[in-house]
Amino acid sequence: MMTYGEQAEGDVRTWRMEKSGKRERREREWYSYLHRQGCQQPTTNTVEEPLDLIRLSLDERIYVKMRNDRELRGRLHAYDQHLNMILGDVEETVTTVEIDEETYEELYKSTKRNIPMLFVRGDGVVLVAPPLRVG
Amino acid sequence: MESHRNESPSSGPNEVINSIRERTIAENSMVVLLQGLQGEVTTVDLKNESTARGRVVNVDAFMNVRLEDVLYQDRQGQLTQLQDLFVTGRNIRYVHIPDHVDIMKTIQSQLAKIHRVRNFSSHGGGRKEYINKPK
Repeated sequence: MMTYGEQAEGDVRTWRMEKSGKRERREREWYSYLHRQGCQQPTTNTVEEPLDLIRLSLDERIYVKMRNDRELRGRLHAYDQHLNMILGDVEETVTTVEIDEETYEELYKSTKRNIPMLFVRGDGVVLVAPPLRVG
Repeated sequence: MESHRNESPSSGPNEVINSIRERTIAENSMVVLLQGLQGEVTTVDLKNESTARGRVVNVDAFMNVRLEDVLYQDRQGQLTQLQDLFVTGRNIRYVHIPDHVDIMKTIQSQLAKIHRVRNFSSHGGGRKEYINKPK
């Protein structure tokens, strides 16, 4: 269906329809963040695709597993389709394995640090989940 | 006015990206927040475990970042001072956002700049960026 007016004609119209469909989806992702701040109306409230599940966690604390044995725990402020994220009050945990030379025992060490506000590039993200409950 | 270059010019605070393609890419992702950080001193964590702390000169749609007056610490902890540093977007893991930055306002002002440029030629008979104006 034509979303944005009828100026285009012929083949161009089909191309425009496809482009506006994509733009609508992208705008939807944007609006989900802006809506939380009370600025814009979202175009949908239903959960249709996996990214919508992340939308449900906006403003909540989440657990993010990243590449290179890293984990983040923080409050999700914003995200986009690449999974670039903005996390507040985050604790980063880096886990390393050291192997004892003699006993060949594996010693797991983790290093933590706290960062008040962090922009995370999406290509490092492996999974996003609610914070893990112990026990 | 369309530019076919992938690289955006090193610009002052009032200049916007000249490429339509980059504008569209940036507008639909969280990179706009990083673009709004131009002029701020931030720390960028790279994927090779090194960090660069300096003033953000420019960020383009592909998250390539140009920094100036940089203190670069490599993964061994060795510090180097650099006048100018260009980091490819793919090499970025985190960007630390300064505490005093208002994320919502930054994103909104960046989007407003993009929309201003896009609508610049809309009155009169100038070439329009999109034939069908969204909404």
